[in-house]
Amino acid sequence: MFTRFALAAAAVTLLFAGAAHAAPPPEKIALTGATVITAAGDDIENATILVENGTITAVGGDVEIPFDAFEYDVEGKFIMPGMIDPHSSAGMSVQNEPLPVAPFVSVRDAIDPVQLYFEDCLRRGITTVHVSPGNNTVIGGTSMVVSPIGRSVSDMTIIEHAAMKFSATPRAGYDRMRQLAEIREAFFTLEQTTKALAEEKYEESKRDDGEPLDVLPDEAAERGMELLEDEDFDLGDQRLRQVARGELQTWMAALTAGDVRSALAMADDLGVTEHTTVVVDASAHKNAEALKEAGVGVVFDGELRERVRDPFTGDLSDTFAPKVLHDAGIPFAITPEPDATLAEGYPNYQAALLIRYGVPRADAIKAVTQNAADIIGVGEEVGSIETGKSGNLVVFSGDPLDFASHVEMVFIEGILAYDRQKDIRLERLLNLEAASANDEDMSAETAEDAADTASDDGSADAPSASTDGDNAGDTGGDSE
Amino acid sequence: MNGLGVVTSLGAVAVFASSSLGQLRVIQADAVHVGNGTVHAPGWIAIEGDEIVAVGGDMGAMPSDDPEVHWGAITPGLIDANARVERLDAFAEYRVRGGTVLERVMRGVHSPDQVISCSCSGHALCPVIGTHEPLASEGLTCPVCSYPSHVAADAMAPGLISVDTYTEAASEVVPHTRVIDSVNIRGADLDRLVEGGVTTAYLSPDSTAVIGPRGAVLRTAGRTSRRVIERESDVHAAINSAPYFSGPSNNQPNEGSVTNRSRRPTTRMGVAWVFRKAFHDAAEFARGLTPDGADTAPTEAFPVLNEVRDGDVGLRIHSRALNDIESALRLSAEFGMGFTLLEGTEAYGLIPELREAGVPVVFGPIYMRPSGERTAFDLDFFLFTNEVGANKLDTLKTLIDAGIPTALSAQDLRDEDGLARQAMYAIRYGLAPEDALRAVTLTPAEILGLDNEIGSLEAGKRADLVLWNGEPFAATAKPVEVVVGGKTVVDRR
Repeated sequence: MFTRFALAAAAVTLLFAGAAHAAPPPEKIALTGATVITAAGDDIENATILVENGTITAVGGDVEIPFDAFEYDVEGKFIMPGMIDPHSSAGMSVQNEPLPVAPFVSVRDAIDPVQLYFEDCLRRGITTVHVSPGNNTVIGGTSMVVSPIGRSVSDMTIIEHAAMKFSATPRAGYDRMRQLAEIREAFFTLEQTTKALAEEKYEESKRDDGEPLDVLPDEAAERGMELLEDEDFDLGDQRLRQVARGELQTWMAALTAGDVRSALAMADDLGVTEHTTVVVDASAHKNAEALKEAGVGVVFDGELRERVRDPFTGDLSDTFAPKVLHDAGIPFAITPEPDATLAEGYPNYQAALLIRYGVPRADAIKAVTQNAADIIGVGEEVGSIETGKSGNLVVFSGDPLDFASHVEMVFIEGILAYDRQKDIRLERLLNLEAASANDEDMSAETAEDAADTASDDGSADAPSASTDGDNAGDTGGDSE
Repeated sequence: MNGLGVVTSLGAVAVFASSSLGQLRVIQADAVHVGNGTVHAPGWIAIEGDEIVAVGGDMGAMPSDDPEVHWGAITPGLIDANARVERLDAFAEYRVRGGTVLERVMRGVHSPDQVISCSCSGHALCPVIGTHEPLASEGLTCPVCSYPSHVAADAMAPGLISVDTYTEAASEVVPHTRVIDSVNIRGADLDRLVEGGVTTAYLSPDSTAVIGPRGAVLRTAGRTSRRVIERESDVHAAINSAPYFSGPSNNQPNEGSVTNRSRRPTTRMGVAWVFRKAFHDAAEFARGLTPDGADTAPTEAFPVLNEVRDGDVGLRIHSRALNDIESALRLSAEFGMGFTLLEGTEAYGLIPELREAGVPVVFGPIYMRPSGERTAFDLDFFLFTNEVGANKLDTLKTLIDAGIPTALSAQDLRDEDGLARQAMYAIRYGLAPEDALRAVTLTPAEILGLDNEIGSLEAGKRADLVLWNGEPFAATAKPVEVVVGGKTVVDRR
């Protein structure tokens, strides 16, 4: 379990510059009176959640609150598990290295903790982010699971090397043949390098022992395999070896239905199907069977509805892809779209969308919580409100599946990371000043009206005179 | 209210007994939202032919023993009082090679097939504006059409200003032309509107002329010949930067050379000048004089402008920025005209002035980050407008709370981004659900002067209904049936 108390406190002050240096967060907090959506079984009404040292220690209707716990009364509100963005390329200044095959790079070096994106995460109730290289790549580098709070990337880190990002969809300027050939070539080159290194290692060991070389090169390479160590390889090859061994997850962008087939075939060739997640778009509903058979993780990135207009008849077919996958029994996670219109950036809205198109409520909630956590490899720690899990909680003003509800508070490991009352940036987007000015106008209305009547008569000539003497007569005539 | 329901429903029984106009259809629902603030929960509605014959909350007064049962809410059909729809054009209908039709191409519709690779760098081209997807490597979307986010959704293409401009470019002053003549009134775009629950749309021209064509009011479904409600509606004026930045042949003139490929004005000052001169010339024309000088409007425009000035023809002014709204107020006051403000992004800053002038507003859309025509005004050079920077999320609520009659419009946005979502945003940012419903039903009907025909569920009004499978505008609900003029035109059940 990860503890970053002091750092998180600092993060809160960073975000909300108005606040003075916060006191260290309390070790025990209790949230009382809310309806809790656990994402692991039924909702609990009027429940208490107890978080001690960052971990949930009790959830339920009759939880005894320790005398030294800091109590938040959230009566009438809803609490959801901190939501999860399972695939995001925001949070970095540039999403992809221009080099097509770059297994040696890591988003570790590109994440910018002060990117507005991470602050927006809190506003949207996202408490865990899988930051991944973008889709415009062949082999994009390693991804990272982070928490959206922290002064530095080290503070934010949850999993430093989570997955290797591949793309089965051609990067800009590539066609599909070249795209897939370059992935294969990377592993073929690794194989050749491994062989050559093994042979060399074996020869070296013989030389060190003062013995003559007793076998042909092929046999030497075979015997040398067990002598190989990770340090013998360059960084990119080390990472690819980890991929092949299943130590690094394989994430493949497959943004058309055809690319999903290629991605699954590629994963099979590499023997990493059980460690593979495909990043798909709405067209993936055509691959439901293949995805089910492969049993890979599925993450939706972008549009969820595939709308295809028949080129001849003009008829529109409209398929809501997650529903098809749900009906096929495939668990999936959904990515909020930070660049899209207002609503789609909110995972709770995305969950509501699933419900609108027929996915049951519990499964819709899991698509932005537990399923996403499982796919990015932190399902044991986060993703639901259960005893033993991290105290990542989002307090909504009402039912999170009603878009009129706002994120009011976000707790990350029991630390208050976001408080809507102190969100200065949000205030700027609302008409608080205009509203109060308006109230003043309302009260002064009668006096103003009287004054206006007087000034109307007096100023009637002035604007007319500025256009034309003749018009002045007309205007006057109209208004009388 | 219940008493009233009984009375009207008795009337309905009588109509049922004596009428042979059409089948009586009675629907019982969890909630019937009348549109004027009244909600019957549970409630029922009876329609016959193309008319509503009775609405009520008294279940005993229902004019049928065996009504249809709808699990969800019923609202009036939505009205978009400032919609932009695709124009009708002959080109781009078929892709032809050597006299053979290769493929029928849907007008103004994004499809993934249209995404082609540029030969120089291989970057995807935006299919609508034909330019490089900007900064693809950084995951940004096209600022005009939101490509690639909306490629599959084909939501954004139609009606984009500067891409599909249909304002006559012969002059800056063209109130004698009509938008209805250039709009495709049976196109896929109207289908998209009606799928989103919009049953009546005011078709606005774009803002590429200072005084543009006259808008029209349309039903979004039904027989084409009966769709038009009003052929010659208000005159559309633009007090913003669009007249000098947008439009197909609206290039900035080179020094000293104004040609037919360049038009004036070139600044906001020029926009105000063209507006003022047009109305001034119209007055001269009415007195038998012949207006002359640079930028004189076509003679045909003057009678229309005089009608506008006399209040016989409505005026709509499209402004976003605060100073533009001020100019609109000043110019209209100068000629003693009322007007309807369109879009009004920064109207929150001029509430006392708007209230004093009695200006209704067709506000919207609500957005966090602008998309479509609201981001770019010159597609050749990718100039971005600064007219949308100071938008606020709860401006609609601020205007309505201030007592300004304000309708909500989605303009060119469709489908998931359409008018229903706009109402959802309005509710999210503090507007009461019934006020949000009013802003997309009865208020726009009042602004259009059609509130005796449409806009609420009352006996005698046209049977335009939306049946939702939950709360109207909730994130988890959608329109499952849309009825226009008594006929079911969308059925998703």
